[in-house]
Amino acid sequence: MLEVRGVTRRFGDFVALRDTNLFVGEGEFVAIVGASGCGKTTLLRLIAGLDQDYVGEIDLRGRRIVGTTLERGIVFQEPRLLPWLSLWENIAVALDNAPLSAAAKKEVIAAQIALVGLTGFEDAYPAALSGGMAQRAAIARALVGHPSILLLDEPLGALDAITRMRLQEELLRIWRHEGVSMILVTHDVEEAVFLSQKVVVMDSHPGHVTANIVVDLPAPRDRSSSDFGVLKREVFGALHDSSAVKPVEIEYLI
Amino acid sequence: MRGGIKTFFAEQRYIGAILPLAIFGLWQASSSFGWVEPVFLPAPAKVVEAFWYMLTRQDLLRDIRASVFIIAQAFFYGALLGIGLGFAAGLSRRVELFFGGTINTLRHIPSVAWIPLVVVWLGLGAPAKIVVLAKSIFIPVFLNTLQAIRGVDHNFIELAQALKLSKWQLICRVIFPAILPVVMVTLRYSAGLSWALVVIAEGISGLEGLGFLIFRAQNLLMTDQLLVCMVLIGLIGYALDRLLYLAQRRLLRWQRGFGGSYA
Repeated sequence: MLEVRGVTRRFGDFVALRDTNLFVGEGEFVAIVGASGCGKTTLLRLIAGLDQDYVGEIDLRGRRIVGTTLERGIVFQEPRLLPWLSLWENIAVALDNAPLSAAAKKEVIAAQIALVGLTGFEDAYPAALSGGMAQRAAIARALVGHPSILLLDEPLGALDAITRMRLQEELLRIWRHEGVSMILVTHDVEEAVFLSQKVVVMDSHPGHVTANIVVDLPAPRDRSSSDFGVLKREVFGALHDSSAVKPVEIEYLI
Repeated sequence: MRGGIKTFFAEQRYIGAILPLAIFGLWQASSSFGWVEPVFLPAPAKVVEAFWYMLTRQDLLRDIRASVFIIAQAFFYGALLGIGLGFAAGLSRRVELFFGGTINTLRHIPSVAWIPLVVVWLGLGAPAKIVVLAKSIFIPVFLNTLQAIRGVDHNFIELAQALKLSKWQLICRVIFPAILPVVMVTLRYSAGLSWALVVIAEGISGLEGLGFLIFRAQNLLMTDQLLVCMVLIGLIGYALDRLLYLAQRRLLRWQRGFGGSYA
């Protein structure tokens, strides 16, 4: 469905991504993990079409991507709601150019708000929403145009542990309900193993993919099961290996 | 009103009345006890009398109307042009480079310095004053609109890109609301400054308006009429600002900033 082949992205002399490959199947949930600076956000921005200055190929359903489209929804690290619009209006903005009647839009927006559990808060301004609620609204905004793939850039990174766990469950529920492919960028290994069907491990200097680990655990997943632990260890191992082969960099001398 | 004066002032909405009442009391006292010569500071009652005289015999309303008419028109044109050109320059570097230098030079010529020339061109009537005042409103509105657009969070621009908003939608949905707080403050600020300038412009050249009356009263040593004009100028200026403040509060009701109590 989504294919990234041999993609390299340079910022001047700095190579953020080198010869990167990634495949996401129809309806698949893929997580990308890696230390900060490994190019995972860069990769996501390339897939979103926000950044078009790369070498290589990115195809969605066999067609090379050009710029942004509503077919690829994106949720940023912070909710990025427009503070002057109510929750409803914030989600409605995504349908400004959709070829739908006003009544149809209304119906779709209401359904999307219900899906993320924010019914009753339609008229609230973002300043009045909690971090978790705001991020749910951002997810609803990304989904309301019915994209075929949803790109999530550490969307839960800034939330507290409890809200985070709850939203992870919600993401799974939404994923099953909508049947949409998802790419989740995260630095949380447990989150990656809990949510995804495939974990892509990346490493830095320059950013590249070091491992693809298939997560074939049945749903619902139990974070405390031994299989879960084994997979977590495997991902940690891949993260560790990739950083261990590098020569030790001296950060400072005493 | 249970509890008398103390509870009256404990109510927050009356707190703003304390200072004016005190000033008024001092004024009354200074004339009652003869601290100041009446020709320098006439008694409040004399001023009220003068106000009534001007209203009924000298067509004061016409002068008020003349001054308000000038500021209203100047405000309309100046704000419209300032926001319009500010947007044009904010959205295009080319327009900014085209206008920037000229406007930044012109703004260093104070509005008062424009009055003599513009009066020569347009005469003593309202148009000359409207032009000068509109210019004095235009400059800060233009500069602040432009600067505010430059300061719009880039993340929101990126979001608009991801949502495939057109340029027009970007302006209406993102840029305009984002800069509105700055624009509103600038409008209030420049409206206040320009109201003061109306008085000066009418004083320098003109045959009607509150500014004309105030300078005439000074020449004739009619301190009571002078004070009437001062109070009216103050009250009208206050009303003007209140109007804009209410508009601002309505337009920016999404904002939740520091409300003023901290405990």
